[in-house]
Amino acid sequence: MKFFKAIFSLLFALALVITLNIKLGDIPPLGKFLDPFHGFWKNAEEKKVDKQKDITLSGLKGNVEIRFDDQMIPHIFADNNYDLYYAQGYMTAKDRLWQMDFQTRFASGRLSEVVGPKAIELDRYQRRMGMMFGAENMVREMKKDKQIQETMDAYTAGVNAYIASLNPEDYPIEFKLLNYKPENWNPVNSALLLKLMSATLAGGSNEFYMSNILNKFGPEVVNDLFPDYPFRESPIIPQGTKWNFKPVAVQQQPAVTVNPKISYNIKTRQIKEGIGSNNWALAGSKTSTGSPMLANDPHLDLTLPAIWYQIQLISNDMNVCGVSIPGAPGVIIGFNQQVAWGVTNVGADVLDWYQIKFKDDSKKEYWYNNKWNPVKIRIENIAVSGSKNIIDTVYYTHHGPVVYLDNQKPEKFGKASNIPAGHALRWIAHDASNDTRTFYMLNRAKNYDDYRQALKYYTAPAQNFVFASMEGDIGITANGYFPLKWKNHGKFLMDGSDPVNDWNGRIPAEQNPTVKNPPRNFVSSANQFSTDPSYPYYINWEFSGYERSKRINSRLTVMTNATVDSLRSLQNDNYSILAENILPLLSSSVNTQKLNASQQQSFDIVSKWNKFFDADQIGASIFEIWQKELINQIWSDDFTVENVPMRYPSRDRTVEILLNEPNSKWFDNINTPSKETREDVILASFKFAVDSLERKFGPMDKDWQWGNVKHSYVPHLAKIAGFNSAFINNGGSKTSVNAMNETNGPSWRMIVALGKNVKAYGVYPGGESGNPGSFYYDDMISTWGNGKLNELLYLKSKNENSNRIISTWKMEKE
Amino acid sequence: MLFILIFIISLVLQFFLPWWIIAPIAIGMSYWKATSGRNAFTSAFGAIFLLWILMGLLESIPNENLLANRVGQLLMLPQSSFNWIIVLLITGIIGGLAAGFSALSGYYLRLAFIKPSTI
Repeated sequence: MKFFKAIFSLLFALALVITLNIKLGDIPPLGKFLDPFHGFWKNAEEKKVDKQKDITLSGLKGNVEIRFDDQMIPHIFADNNYDLYYAQGYMTAKDRLWQMDFQTRFASGRLSEVVGPKAIELDRYQRRMGMMFGAENMVREMKKDKQIQETMDAYTAGVNAYIASLNPEDYPIEFKLLNYKPENWNPVNSALLLKLMSATLAGGSNEFYMSNILNKFGPEVVNDLFPDYPFRESPIIPQGTKWNFKPVAVQQQPAVTVNPKISYNIKTRQIKEGIGSNNWALAGSKTSTGSPMLANDPHLDLTLPAIWYQIQLISNDMNVCGVSIPGAPGVIIGFNQQVAWGVTNVGADVLDWYQIKFKDDSKKEYWYNNKWNPVKIRIENIAVSGSKNIIDTVYYTHHGPVVYLDNQKPEKFGKASNIPAGHALRWIAHDASNDTRTFYMLNRAKNYDDYRQALKYYTAPAQNFVFASMEGDIGITANGYFPLKWKNHGKFLMDGSDPVNDWNGRIPAEQNPTVKNPPRNFVSSANQFSTDPSYPYYINWEFSGYERSKRINSRLTVMTNATVDSLRSLQNDNYSILAENILPLLSSSVNTQKLNASQQQSFDIVSKWNKFFDADQIGASIFEIWQKELINQIWSDDFTVENVPMRYPSRDRTVEILLNEPNSKWFDNINTPSKETREDVILASFKFAVDSLERKFGPMDKDWQWGNVKHSYVPHLAKIAGFNSAFINNGGSKTSVNAMNETNGPSWRMIVALGKNVKAYGVYPGGESGNPGSFYYDDMISTWGNGKLNELLYLKSKNENSNRIISTWKMEKE
Repeated sequence: MLFILIFIISLVLQFFLPWWIIAPIAIGMSYWKATSGRNAFTSAFGAIFLLWILMGLLESIPNENLLANRVGQLLMLPQSSFNWIIVLLITGIIGGLAAGFSALSGYYLRLAFIKPSTI
């Protein structure tokens, strides 16, 4: 009995301790996690910052000094570039190690290794899309460039030096929650993060939907509803700009297009808008200082830790300041004493699908150019935490990987919805490239020629690089590797056996759309068409809606004596051109006799609304739901067919139909016996908007205000409760310059006033630290939410001191 | 006595060893010193409860309980600036239970091997 009691109690204690030491499902190992000696309590950072710290590191070649300003942004002084990038790697890892680890795992399809079976489909998808394949090609290319290789090696060594300095209690809190260890960094991880940018910004495709639409409605409807140039546009390169080059010959469009044969049961969706950005530069003649000014705000799905990492890098041959990608060397958007630059996305069509015919089930050969060609096989081994590994085979043709074979496509996996099974993927992100060189050179650029030189090396994701220099030049270039395409090349799925459909060379880099010092004295972009139809090459048939660019260009046209504050107010402009365009029609179409009392009250508010998506506007909330539902009511009946995924026509075309084609057949709901008119759908969607607001928020009161209805916040990268930001009550909309919706919007706002003493301002929705236990985790969010900017501390030399410096680190060679 | 022994030895060893070292410490000390099952459990529970709470406070106060409040939400508590107190209590209880049950088994082990008369 005594032995039984002893053994039983011992086993019980043992079981308890073991249970508290392992992760059960999503519950962290509680004993380990709560242990105040090594667990999460160790991640609680003191509010007080150490004034001074000395570290010795064996990997350094000389000495490094790092000064931290009042937002803990590092200003790194190094004697040589190796040490500089080494220190950048070290500091970025200090602040963002888990983010770097998690994002590279996400990109390379290695999440299941740490989160278990729920990520298997995602991992499979990333691998099948060839993310690692592309990153490996990039590393190979970078190795051919000695300077870039040294940069990557230095950065990698710095990250690894930081990792080596950690004890388990020092690991970022997310490692403790998910119960895993940081791995050594490798240059391919940096490449993966750049590929991830391509996936976000140049990874979309419409051709599967477009082919389905072509099949269902025929070419006439496609030409009518999906035109190749919008009804309203204000292109990036101002209309009338001359193309002073001799274009190279482009292959002619072949007559036939293939029809897709397989479809899946996936609902048609409105295209998600959110990946977009604004940038512009003003010539000195338009500014109060007489020197150019430049502004940029890239819009992305916001996350904590912040997407960007602010930094200043000073060595013997450069002094650059701005934001970097956590995990990649150099500054991506920023300025130095002579120049400033920024980027917005070019929606180029650099991703195409080719139908593949395999010889037999062994899939060893595929038909191309009238013969059987060998298929390359890549075996993907997916490790899964708490389960056995999954072996996946991916078949590569000369086009690229066949992402899903017939019947291999997962049904309930959103990311795969636009992927046609049985098709090979031709994607720019797989091509060998050395994009890091562009930033390496921009960081050191002194003038316009240096800027043009730097851009040549850039491949993807294609960006509108805006530029301004102290010398007084401004310019913008839609830049990247644009394949030479015939008109509408890749608008639909293509036959992968016919060489005529292949990409065939590129638009020569120097012929990419560009303009320098245009007569209007400003340049700008907001993801709209790069050029008007006079440009001799085809880049894509559709770009982002024109609303933001229209507003930016109207305001910049009339702007004189611009100050930093005038540019800041434009970045935060909540005015909606969409509302300007359609609200008068919508209001005049509603028969107010047919409204009940609360609908009447709402109607009065929205028809008198000033068209600004400000946080306190109720009209904005009503209008936003109204226009979305209106678009839905016009198109959902025609474009929802079981087993045939399609997309809706663009907002631009919808607006044109609303305004100019009052008797269009598309207003009728084909699922009802009666015939609906334009006025019917406008009224029905208005009632829907008011009813849905009432359902969600009760009778009209301040809960209906746009800030509350939009309900913005910044989610944690892994959506961990408690690590998200608080609610942010701000304005903005997808059709405003301040392109904010729930969790997507300006991920960095920057304004640079060039001149003898360059002055710059910036802010991002987050903080420098990635640690939720740090006071610098989300300290910039309220500044950002209020539409304000911080002055960016720019130290011109080591001798310059600033009272904003709160801490100094000295790194010495061991 | 048992309380103080477990408290001090755990305090020292936990700087070098993983959290579960508290289990062998509790088993060993209570095998040696416990006078009853109740004495074993309460001394070990109390010692680690107190130790973990004190150490937690040491980390949390300079942090103004910022992280502990966030972790409270992670543990399904509603958003509040007093979450840290609950998180601290949970920390103490989890550590205390692990130590307490270990100590209890230490005492029963002794009962199994040593005749009560020699106690």
